[in-house]
Amino acid sequence: MMFKGYSIRNLMLWVLWMGLSLPVMAASNQASTPQVTATLISSHSHIAPGEQIILGIKLDILPHWHTYWRNPGDSGTVTTIGWKFSQPVEAGDVVWPLPDRFKMGPIVNYGYENSVTLPTPLKLPADLKPGKPLKVQAVVDWLVCKEECIPQQVVLSLDLPVVAAGQGQKTAAPDIDLALERQPAKVSWPVRLQGSDGSLTLLVDAPELADSAVKDIWFYPYEWGKIAQSHEQVVTKTATGIAIELHAGDMPLQPGEALEGVLIAKEQSTETSGYLLNPKLQTVTESSPAETGTDSLLLAIFLAFAGGMVLNLMPCVFPVLSIKALSLISHSSLGRGELIRQGLVYTLGVVVSFVALALVLVLLKAGGAQVGWGFQFQSAWFVFLMTYLMFTVGLNLSGVFTIGGGISGVGSHLADKPGYWGSFFTGVLATIVATPCTAPFMAAALGFALARPAPELIVIFISLGLGLAFPYLLLTSWPGLQKVLPKPGIWMEYTKQFFAFPMYAAAVWLVWVLAQQQGELAVVLVLSGFVLIALAAWIYAISRGASSTRLKFANAGVVLVVGLAIGLVTLLAETPTEALPDKQAKSLKQNWQPYSAEKLESLLAEGKPVFLNFTAAWCISCLVNEKVALSQPEVVQAFEQQGITYLKGDWTNKDAEITKILTKFGRSGVPLYVFYPAGHAGKPIELPQILTPASVLSHIQP
Amino acid sequence: MQIKQIFTHTLIGLAIGVFSQSVSAEAIIDKPAPAFTGTTADGGKLSLDSLKGKTVVLEWTNHECPFVKKHYESGNIPQLQKDAAAKNIVWVQVNSSAEGKQGHVSGAEATKLNESRSAKPAYVVLDANGKIGQAYGAQTTPHIYIVDPKGILVYKGGIDDIPTAKVEDLPKANNYVREVWAALADGKKVPHASTKPYGCSIKYSS
Repeated sequence: MMFKGYSIRNLMLWVLWMGLSLPVMAASNQASTPQVTATLISSHSHIAPGEQIILGIKLDILPHWHTYWRNPGDSGTVTTIGWKFSQPVEAGDVVWPLPDRFKMGPIVNYGYENSVTLPTPLKLPADLKPGKPLKVQAVVDWLVCKEECIPQQVVLSLDLPVVAAGQGQKTAAPDIDLALERQPAKVSWPVRLQGSDGSLTLLVDAPELADSAVKDIWFYPYEWGKIAQSHEQVVTKTATGIAIELHAGDMPLQPGEALEGVLIAKEQSTETSGYLLNPKLQTVTESSPAETGTDSLLLAIFLAFAGGMVLNLMPCVFPVLSIKALSLISHSSLGRGELIRQGLVYTLGVVVSFVALALVLVLLKAGGAQVGWGFQFQSAWFVFLMTYLMFTVGLNLSGVFTIGGGISGVGSHLADKPGYWGSFFTGVLATIVATPCTAPFMAAALGFALARPAPELIVIFISLGLGLAFPYLLLTSWPGLQKVLPKPGIWMEYTKQFFAFPMYAAAVWLVWVLAQQQGELAVVLVLSGFVLIALAAWIYAISRGASSTRLKFANAGVVLVVGLAIGLVTLLAETPTEALPDKQAKSLKQNWQPYSAEKLESLLAEGKPVFLNFTAAWCISCLVNEKVALSQPEVVQAFEQQGITYLKGDWTNKDAEITKILTKFGRSGVPLYVFYPAGHAGKPIELPQILTPASVLSHIQP
Repeated sequence: MQIKQIFTHTLIGLAIGVFSQSVSAEAIIDKPAPAFTGTTADGGKLSLDSLKGKTVVLEWTNHECPFVKKHYESGNIPQLQKDAAAKNIVWVQVNSSAEGKQGHVSGAEATKLNESRSAKPAYVVLDANGKIGQAYGAQTTPHIYIVDPKGILVYKGGIDDIPTAKVEDLPKANNYVREVWAALADGKKVPHASTKPYGCSIKYSS
């Protein structure tokens, strides 16, 4: 090594300087610097050949100063011990007790305050000679820092009497015992480390870590550079344990490389537990069926099925299916086989639609898009067409027009077989109108599905479709159930007409969604579209049974008018989204601020309590929760009193930033409510998807 | 509306361009080093851009930090600075100690300090608000960043591979700065482009 400037003069300067900062060179088992008192202690008062003993270096540190762990963090230096023995004995490595962490500005360090004992195991050789004591010398180097840092060195020595084999004597060494207690435990929890593009997620399937008593969780890596230690480690609860967000450091892990370190969980009661983890990095696309197990897949399939059944009761789905059920009653004279076939075709329609949705999701995912459930509502086009659909179905139910034999016509055409296409498209329609209603059951299953490889995603979606189709299929294939249904009559017509109103209500809601997404212009356009559609329906209705020339004109009119309605949508697609910035400007007067990852990070860094609400105009349960819980005076007041910053993320339109944080919490859609308690150590608490003022208050209790 | 937005953005962009004398981007190996304009010890301005065409060494310092003392009092860094000047490499000392914190110096003090240590950096940049330090993610004193003549960051990390404050470790250590210089001179890839920085934490204002 080239080293030109290393002169005698400099060496002398150095000796002088080291001499000043190192007042201690005594042949004793204890030595002190102004900041640290070091003591060499032994687990045994008398040692014998072949035994294992433990030597400890106890450091008593001045308050507010600290020494460092095996990985000191962003700065600092690990404490080292150089051993010398009068007989050939080999010392093991220091077994490091659980460290603390210290944050100074942007720098995070790992180490010890007040007092720590560093134990070193010693395997005594079988040929250790009894009689003469074993002379032990330890040269201990540490860096002690408050804000400024001082490197220090002491030399400690200890004589240990050597006795005959088997006659060794232990001595009370509570400091060593304590240090050996404060060790990370080996655990058998399933642990995964997933990552891409510098962001890593450490998933630990340990429900005890998700316990509310655990107040602070931090992962301490053994090596520098694998993760950026100064980055806030955001911990979230998952269904099976916790997820910790980490960031890659300056020497990032390669796929397959292990990240060894200690996970430390502190409880309210100041109880501290450490766990040794050593997960290998998987890239996100890599699947790991062995580790997640089939259980969770089966559970997801079951939940999807149950969620699908619940969808039947959703306000938009129920009318569509009721009509279908009514037509079934009308067809009660049909043969049993025919009925079952109708049910199966309907089921096929539902399942095909769900598979199509799953394939779209798979493609979008493959293209790298950030997608979540309800994503289709982020397209103005989709919402527009859905609005028209709801309105048109409503007009149909109201009897403004009928298609083909129509439902109202079935009474007089009992002999007609209802078309299979009709059943198939009822299935498709049921799926389309069901998509915005993410039943609580489905949130978990869909979140799981979106994170899984394509085949599993498709299986879960099929299960969801089967769930949706199941009640109707049951009805068509179970004659006993059909007998329970009331007899046909005029009440059917009234029921059908009544069901038009939920459809109109759904259309109104969608118009409002459009207003949120696209602004006032969209409202005018979509309402004009309604007029055109109503006009088309009317032309269509009056021209039924007309002569062929008039029918031609009428059909041309319908096509023209519907074309105009669609044309309005195109016009809208040209206008950029303007609503959002305006809304955010208004929000300054509200008690919430728009969400951004940076804002959240800076608030958390300041240790402020934060309440997150992720919502979308098309998410009904989100809006209900806001109305009945989050905007209630007692909740608003509690937020104010506790100084909670209320951040709201609007997912009405596409927003990659929000999709990212939803994914972090294992969600694929809204709503999501999270509370970060005050203090840097605060672990985020997820609130249920259905809120009441009381439930919100109970979660944000300090 | 769109035109108005573009107009606003342009205005903001201009404002940032005109009034900022700060820094941009992040310090990532093989990417352009974060640009900065800082105040030098003699009261002048130094921008990284103005040094294009030359290799630049950025050294974060705090003269009261024992790790920095090791490298100055042993003559290690002063020698590196002399060698840099001989090779037409620009050595920039950066001080990010906040006012009132350890290692904070005025321009005059910095100059005097370097004279007393026979240290001859090409420039001393005073960064008491920590903006340059935080843009680079500088954590320790010393912490070294090396920018190649094209303005690309080719090295960040420690000054050598033995993280102690002991002078006797210097002859055994592999000096990363010299390693980078050798690689650049030979047109080779820098063998250790990112290493563990070691030393005292930088005394930032927050």
